[in-house]
Amino acid sequence: MGEFNVWTSLPAVAPEIGLTILAAVVLLLDAYLPKEKNRARNIAFVSAVSMAVLALTPFIWAPAPNTSELFWGGMVRHDALGQLFDVMILLAGAITVMIAVDDSGVGRRGEFHLIVIIVTLGGCILSSSADLVMIFVALETVSIPLYVLAAFRREDNKSSESGLKYFLFGSFASAILLYGFSFLYGLTGSTQLTAIAAGLNSEIVSGNLVAVLAALLMVIVGFGFKISAVPFHFWTPDVYEGAPTPVTAFVSVASKAGSFAVFMRFLIEAFGLPAVSADATSTLVVIDGQTIQTFWVNLLTVFSILSMTVGNVLALRQKNFKRLLAYSSIAQAGYTLMGLAALQAQSAIGQDIAMASITFYMFMYTFTNLVIFAGIILFVEATGRENIADFAGLQRRSPWLALAMTIGLLSLAGIPPAAGFFGKLFLFQAAVEANLVGLAMIGVLNAIVALYYYLIIIKIMYVDQGIDEDKPLAMPRSYAWVLGITSVVIIILGVIPTPIFDLAQQGAAAVRLAMGS
Amino acid sequence: MALEQFAPAGVMIIIATILAFIILVISRIFGPHRPTFRKNAPYESGMKPIGPAQRRVPVRFYLVAVLFIIFDVEVIFFLPWAVAMRDLGVYGLIVMGVFTLMLIVGFIYEWKKGALEWE
Repeated sequence: MGEFNVWTSLPAVAPEIGLTILAAVVLLLDAYLPKEKNRARNIAFVSAVSMAVLALTPFIWAPAPNTSELFWGGMVRHDALGQLFDVMILLAGAITVMIAVDDSGVGRRGEFHLIVIIVTLGGCILSSSADLVMIFVALETVSIPLYVLAAFRREDNKSSESGLKYFLFGSFASAILLYGFSFLYGLTGSTQLTAIAAGLNSEIVSGNLVAVLAALLMVIVGFGFKISAVPFHFWTPDVYEGAPTPVTAFVSVASKAGSFAVFMRFLIEAFGLPAVSADATSTLVVIDGQTIQTFWVNLLTVFSILSMTVGNVLALRQKNFKRLLAYSSIAQAGYTLMGLAALQAQSAIGQDIAMASITFYMFMYTFTNLVIFAGIILFVEATGRENIADFAGLQRRSPWLALAMTIGLLSLAGIPPAAGFFGKLFLFQAAVEANLVGLAMIGVLNAIVALYYYLIIIKIMYVDQGIDEDKPLAMPRSYAWVLGITSVVIIILGVIPTPIFDLAQQGAAAVRLAMGS
Repeated sequence: MALEQFAPAGVMIIIATILAFIILVISRIFGPHRPTFRKNAPYESGMKPIGPAQRRVPVRFYLVAVLFIIFDVEVIFFLPWAVAMRDLGVYGLIVMGVFTLMLIVGFIYEWKKGALEWE
């Protein structure tokens, strides 16, 4: 348990404090701004700019990033990994608000922006929580507003359906997760992750391997739902298709990034990296002569293979663009799970690369997915159609939009110079470092399958003849900015990935040292 | 902790299940069975049911219920704080002030949005 000092603890949650104040301000703006045409647009602008500014706070007012310390009495852990996740979730919130502005039905109601801020707040806490109670509260702070957002277009049956489905699946998964947490607390007598790790080594727990594995399994099922890994992915296509498009964009990045961050923390802190000593040999947490690590690494390997394969194969046959992105996001979760499985690496450098590669992948995935969804929103708002075939001839209608979407799709496919290339490269590298060569091979094969359906879309946009080819698409200025900035970020990350990756690696090393290994 | 400690509880569950089953079966076999309309009514000795059970309720009640919960939670937080106020000191006062401030913002919002108007 970390000791509790408010004044030293405050900087560790600087973005969260800012978001809370911002939420109150936006609430009052929504209540007091006079009813005029640009009302919601002004609120959106305030929210987006504030969130973008808050994304800077980790670099201004924060504890030292090269250590990993506990704050708020052991509730929150602050390090560079948490900072990176905070930044990406805050930017995802800002971009979502910007791309929702012109989406009829959501962007013109002030509450929408408020709820996005609340989800962002939850995501920021989630990525740095170090206690089971905190994890659950943060996870629900992310999930419950997202249920509301998915059903935000009340007059649209599909939106209501997706909201209800998301709510039913989500609350069920949360219940299972919580049940797993309760077992962990019962076994170890603590909710603090590192204390759980210590408790697992005590005498009381030895002899109860089945209970530990059952608890771990339930927690993995709960997190598996949140990151939409196969076999817990059934909600994804329906929710992605039915929810308003900006919400889909936000679900696919913020909730996923936060969940991956906390999943990674949970596995590292509670179920232990093998302790790495100076000469890089390891001792495993042993209960009943079996290794818990083997259990979860094998489980995650299987989930990773299933997610990649099922996601990519089902994506091949999709006609609806949002549904295709749903299956693509399942496949992307599969790649990232590879990084989690690689946490079992025996060497210190291998573990650092595993943690850093997950962080980098989520970082680039945030921008990549948002640029594509921004393009879809723009297109659907202008034409009212969202099938892939309707994008035919987009290049003649709006060359810049087609270019931005091409950059996004290339990044998802993992082709240089887009950021996705390095994202995948780091993950494969982590898998190889952890002696999971077979898993890395399957990942590479899947990337080739995925190439097909991403490139087909680019071909449709650039080569195919569309029916409305002579009608150019107007690009509002706010969308032009968002598309431009995110595309440039993707290219920059793809050309010089090292600053972010090095920062993530420093954070990973700090976490590893804090675990006392 | 060994599983054997739970053996009495397990035996208890099994016996209770079997006993309940036996009682139901025996009374079914040996008891007289003469159903009448009145016996089958939801409340045998109560009022006659009027209309279906799923009646339409004004949706406003849900709003009232949601608003009520906010203030309910507020009171639940206030009470232990008031009891332990001397121990918590200035820190407790500030924290409670922040909490109340957030609630007041929400209250202003619902007032301005007209959630408190019945019509």
